[in-house]
Formats: sequence, structure tokens, C-alpha cells
Amino acid sequence: MAAAEDALAGLPRLGLGLGLRNVHFDAILSGERRDLWFEAISENFMDSGGRPRAIIRAVADRYPIVLHGVSLSIGSTDPLDRAYLASLKRLADEVRPAWISDHLCWTGVNGHNSHDLLPMPLTEESLAHVVARVHQVQDILERPLILENPSSYVRFVQSTMEEPAFLRALTDQTGCGLLLDVNNVYVSCFNAGTDPLAYLAAFPCDRVVQMHLAGHQDYGTHVIDTHDCPVRAEVWELFRIAWARTGGASTLLEWDDHIPDFDGCLAELHKAERYMAGTAAPLEAAEPANHGEGVSNPVGFIIPRAMDSVMEDAA
Amino acid sequence: MTALAGAQDRMHAALIDPLADPDAAQALFATGGRLGAAGGLAVYQRGYFLRIAACMREQFPALCHALGRALFDDFVADYIRDCPPERHTLYDLGRRFPDWMEANRPDPQVREAWVDFMIDLARFEYSAFLMFDAEGNEGRPFATFDTDDTALRLQPAFALGSYRFPVAGYYHAVRRSEAPTLPLPAPCHIALVRSDYVTRTVSLSEPQHDFLAAMLAGSGVEAALANISASYGLDPGEVERMWRGTQGSRERWIEWRFFVAANS
Repeated sequence: MAAAEDALAGLPRLGLGLGLRNVHFDAILSGERRDLWFEAISENFMDSGGRPRAIIRAVADRYPIVLHGVSLSIGSTDPLDRAYLASLKRLADEVRPAWISDHLCWTGVNGHNSHDLLPMPLTEESLAHVVARVHQVQDILERPLILENPSSYVRFVQSTMEEPAFLRALTDQTGCGLLLDVNNVYVSCFNAGTDPLAYLAAFPCDRVVQMHLAGHQDYGTHVIDTHDCPVRAEVWELFRIAWARTGGASTLLEWDDHIPDFDGCLAELHKAERYMAGTAAPLEAAEPANHGEGVSNPVGFIIPRAMDSVMEDAA
Repeated sequence: MTALAGAQDRMHAALIDPLADPDAAQALFATGGRLGAAGGLAVYQRGYFLRIAACMREQFPALCHALGRALFDDFVADYIRDCPPERHTLYDLGRRFPDWMEANRPDPQVREAWVDFMIDLARFEYSAFLMFDAEGNEGRPFATFDTDDTALRLQPAFALGSYRFPVAGYYHAVRRSEAPTLPLPAPCHIALVRSDYVTRTVSLSEPQHDFLAAMLAGSGVEAALANISASYGLDPGEVERMWRGTQGSRERWIEWRFFVAANS
């Protein structure tokens, strides 16, 4: 574990970054290199024999990247997927990410994958289960794992711990790092009727390697982590506080549905600089467009809108 | 079963079939918060379907067009209830869909042509989708016109299919944002081949299909041509002209990068 902690301390501060999305590939690889880094969804690239694999190699040649997974399923009671981990390791050996992250969640059981980031019962049993699996994953990947607080819409009746305390114990016992998603903090706390500032106060910010920013939709009675709109003013305020407490953790904007063009995403990302400088009053954020039925953790952006193709007649 | 395993098993079952266990929410989740137990579970249940349906529409755009979104989504809802996703990659979502459609066709007594078309279209679309991320030959040399026939091998990003309807024409019309009508039955044979990350859909005659199928199975050009000659009762000279003649396949297929050169 000491080795994992040492490795964590040596991770770079990357500044501001963007989620690597299919619709931006051409813009990213053309023109001048920017002061930026990218977070790639691991599953989008790890089994690829086509353009995505070529793209991530090219992006990694020009920019720092990190790998962010959505299917490690660290909390599942199914066995760890060794083939998945082997594929992830091969990709990591190839593109040399600054770190590899996933979520404190489970994605399925009984051999199934819901493709959602499902919440854990926060109990001593769950903690012991996840601790053991984080050790295994870190041994296989030969680096500390970075785990993100998920957005949540329920609390298990079994739960006996608060999420910040669970994550603190997890990082203490494994040496893993944390990815603090301030939008998820807001979403989970709003839906639970709890105080996001109290959540942040209890969060082990000294173990935060990276932060996430994203937009959510407000349906009045509840909010959904849709990643389909600009960051809300209340989330920017949480970011301002958290960024200072983490000592300037690497910060990344996720935008996964109704994705603007590359310059539009960059403009949203660079709003963060005002809060990092500590000088900004809360933004007068415009009411985000409501795109109808909101989906938490959308994944449609992972599926390419088919490929460029042509039709010939040889018959 | 541990408490953790029990909770996960019950929550997952409630996602796959929201109506099967009406007590799941109250048993699993605290009643506090803005959503309550049932409201919170409903977010996950709704998200599970919408998320996968969105991905399926991306994998099967022409089938979605042909069925209409509402009916397509109904099929997807039934499909993922019967065949919950198994693999970590979303690209795998549609793998079992054509076979599931065949096994659950709405016309089991008297088969209707439109159902056959939808099933064939699903098979073609999934093949075309897989070609996007298949192992390919980009960055490596392809065969040239000068490559000897004995060295010609099909490149890795290559697939063949036979269908009862002209599904490729329908698919490409949808991709061009046209509104094609459902085609009449007409057997068709299709090759899919990718180079420079662009997939080419090539309509084939039946002998051409059989020739390429033989090569896909490991035959060389000479053996594959002999196979065509025998199967169709064609004179070997005629088969050779079909391959190398001015209207022959060889030059076009090399131009379209069907082949690599062995040992290149």
C-alpha cells in the first residue's frame, strides 16, 4: 500500500482537461497543440481495432491523457473480470495514461452489465469487499486506482456509513486515489435532501487526484446527472471550494449528450479559471436547455454514429 | 448469499423487469430524500432502458427507421428483458438482436415478408456496425495489381453476408437521410470491407460471393476459381475471364482493398 501511496503522490497536476468525444476527434488532432489534457472512456478504446484505437494513439502522442472506465464494476459481487483488466492494462501500456480511474459503483451481477453506475450499500461489508478488489486491481494494473464518487438517487436501508467516510476508509486501506465529481456531489445531496457543503467538508480532499465538472437537469422535485448542458452556478460554487481544498487537482469537463462543438466545450471549461483564481462571483448561468427525458450517466456518445461508408456494385 | 450480494441481485432484477418485484424499492431503499424509495429506483429503471435504447438506435439506424422509433423501442425493451447486456462494451449490445427477432417474430404461424426483411436488415446492420471497430489493415500495405494471385489473401476487416432482401441499398438510403420504402424480396450478396477507416459495401453476384467465401475459408485464388467452375458448371476459361478480364473482378477488388499480399 505504501507503494500505491507513493505513486499517488507522484501523479502530475494536469490543469484543465476535456472528455475525449468522437465528435471532437478531427478538431483535436488538427491545428496547434493546446494547453489541455484529455480523459478517454476506457471501454471506448480498449477492444478497438479500428479508428478509435488509432485516434487515442494520436491524441496520446500530442496530449496528456487519462483513462476513465465505466465497467470495472469494483463493487459488484461478481468476480472481477480478468479479461477486462487484461485489455485495460494492454491499452494503458500502449497509451501511457497519467492515471486510470473508474467509479465507486457496480454495473451488474450474475454475468450481466446494466451499463449504469449503480450505487453501493455503504456498509462495513461493502467496504471490506471493495478494499479487497481495489488491491487486486492495483496489483494487476501496477498503479493506484482512482475512484469517483457516483451520482446517486437512492440510499440503501442497509447503509451505515456516509459516502465521504466510506471513501476515506477505502483510500486509507488501499492507497487508492479519488476523483471528486462536484456535480455528482450536488446531484446526490440535492436528491437526498442533504447539504453538499457538509459532504465536501467531510470528503478526504487530500486524496483527490482529479475533479469532474458537468451539467445536470433540474426537474423541480429532483435533479438528474445528464451531462448535457453547461455547469450550473451552484456546482461552480462547489468547485471553487473543492478546488482550493484539493490544492488544485486536475480538473475535467464532461459533456456527453447534446455535445457542443470543440470550441464550445473549451469555452465552458475555461470558465473554471475564474473559480480557480478565487476571484469570481457566482456566474449568472443561463437556464440550460431542457432536452426532455434526462438520463443519468448517458452513454450514447460511446456508440459511433456508424462509420463513413460507401456503396459499390460489383455484381 | 451475503447482504451485499442479495441487495445487488434484487436491485438488478428490478432493473431488468420493473414489474416483477413491486416490493423491491421499499425493501432496498430508505424512504427519505426528495425521490423516496420508489422514485429513486424508478430513475435507475427508466435510465436503464433509455440508455440502452439510445445505443441500440445508433447501432440499428435503418431498422429503427423501418420500424418507426416507437415500435423499435418496444422491440428493444422486450429484447433486453430477455437478453440483458452481458459484456462491458456497448458495441456488444446488438449481437443477439437478429437471432432474438427471429425467435420472437410476430408472425409465427404464417410468415410475412416484412418480418423477414426486418431480420435481414438487423443482421446486415450489425455486421456493418462491427466493421467500424474490427481489426483492420490500416497502416500496413495492401495488395497491388502486380501482386501474384498465389499471394492474394483477404484483408482482416472483411465480411460477407447473404440476404433475402436488398438490405444494403435500404441501409445506405437511410444513411443519406432519404425515406426509402420497404423493398420487395430479392436475394442479395454483400461484401463489407474497410480501408482508411471507411467501410465499403459491395454488392456481389452469387458466384462472386462463393468465390470470396472460399477465400475467407482459407482457399487460394486458384482453388476458389476452380470451386466456382465446378459449382456453376462454367468453363475454366470463362471463370478466368470473370476474374481477370476487362470486366473482371480482380482489378476492382484490389482497388477497393479486398486483399493483402501474403508475406508483405
